[in-house]
Amino acid sequence: MLKGVHQKLEAQQTPAFFVRGPSLFSRMVLFCALSISIMAIDARLNYLSQVRQAFIAALHPLEIVANAPGEWYRDIKKYFSVHNQLVQENYALKQQAFEHQVMLQRLSTIQAENEHLRSLLNGNIPIQPKAVLGEISHMGRDPFTHTVVVNRGSQHNIKAGQAVVDSKGVIGQVTRVYPFTSEVTLITDKELSIPIQIERNQLRAIAFGEGNNTLDIPYLPTNVDIKVGDKLVTSGIDGVYPAGLAVATVTKIQQNPESPFAKIVSTPIAEVTNHLQLLLLRLPDAKESVAPQPQPEAIPDHKKDFVSTKKPKAKTNASH
Amino acid sequence: MRHTSLVSVYLSLLLALLCQLFPWVGQGIIFRPDFMLVVILYWLLRAPSLCNVGTAWFAGLLVDLATGSLLGQHALSFTVTAFVALSYQRRLVLFNTWQLAGYVFVLLVIERVVILLLKLFEGNDNPGWHYFWPILASLLLWQFMILMFGGLTRPKTK
Repeated sequence: MLKGVHQKLEAQQTPAFFVRGPSLFSRMVLFCALSISIMAIDARLNYLSQVRQAFIAALHPLEIVANAPGEWYRDIKKYFSVHNQLVQENYALKQQAFEHQVMLQRLSTIQAENEHLRSLLNGNIPIQPKAVLGEISHMGRDPFTHTVVVNRGSQHNIKAGQAVVDSKGVIGQVTRVYPFTSEVTLITDKELSIPIQIERNQLRAIAFGEGNNTLDIPYLPTNVDIKVGDKLVTSGIDGVYPAGLAVATVTKIQQNPESPFAKIVSTPIAEVTNHLQLLLLRLPDAKESVAPQPQPEAIPDHKKDFVSTKKPKAKTNASH
Repeated sequence: MRHTSLVSVYLSLLLALLCQLFPWVGQGIIFRPDFMLVVILYWLLRAPSLCNVGTAWFAGLLVDLATGSLLGQHALSFTVTAFVALSYQRRLVLFNTWQLAGYVFVLLVIERVVILLLKLFEGNDNPGWHYFWPILASLLLWQFMILMFGGLTRPKTK
């Protein structure tokens, strides 16, 4: 009888009182504190970006598996696309290419002329940025931020800060680079702002993402010369986005009598949801080498140049 | 008695992570169940000896790394949710399926609210009611898991 009871007790687990370790509440407090400190470190210091990169690299095979069904579906759809449709598309594309070639001929002469004129004026000749073609592998998983993930990473020489465009206009900027993928923040994200120019009258401003598929252009007075339908292009002042890329069209202008500023809402031209291919533009080399390490000797040189170019003008002024 | 091993817990977590990584297009993100959270809640309520607040924290950290959100946000929300889940875990064996679903619904709401608060602190806008829609998808997933893999262990009634 007693033996039987003993056996039963042995078969059971040891009483929870001894096994459980620290109480539930203290565990909760410990892990909450841990997560809050990690959040603080991640938000303010850059120690954890390496961890994140390593993890994303390790996760890459899993991501390929997760993306596989979608790719199969796309491949199968491609395989079964009708012959007639392909012929039509080919015809349309050829026509388009022809039109573009004609436009390109004009562009090259205009470009040469522009460079010549700029060199006459001692101006900088704008550098044609190189670009890498990438493909959107998926939209960002955090519903609060507007990001897409592209299948090009630090292995393909992608760097954080590169501008990203599609065939219609600017999409955004590379914000995080992982070994095989990189995260592109869209211009509609709250964190991103982009220097723009109104194509019609060359008025410069800065557009800020609103977080809901629109851009906001704040701090412009109510009597500013902007109309609904105006096209916004990049001004190229920041050195990240090359000048003249389409950004957005103005869709709404609200004038609030209580505020000295107009509320100008515009929608992006680029269509992120409609296609997969996009271009990641290289950062301009000159900016890249100068900006991170300002050389103390370089500045006096520039100043000298500046002074020497100014002096003759002053002289001519004086002589007149 | 069913036997669950630690291996199955972590394998299922890996599978949940894989599901989390599926590319959800555009508006589909609204209907995406929170795979990691549902799986971790399932193990928390079913096998609390294998899976504790620490496991939930770890799962949350994985979610943070995978989604690219601020590191520690989901870890915190999962920890809080796991705490609430475990503090009443002993009473849950007496619940029937629908009562249990109600309880899980409350837990899912808690997780979403914690994340929402953290995101608002970060300076994001109020996302509106559609932010809470994934709760329903998660609840469906929960019911599916209960159907597939069995509910919580009950004391045998003779």
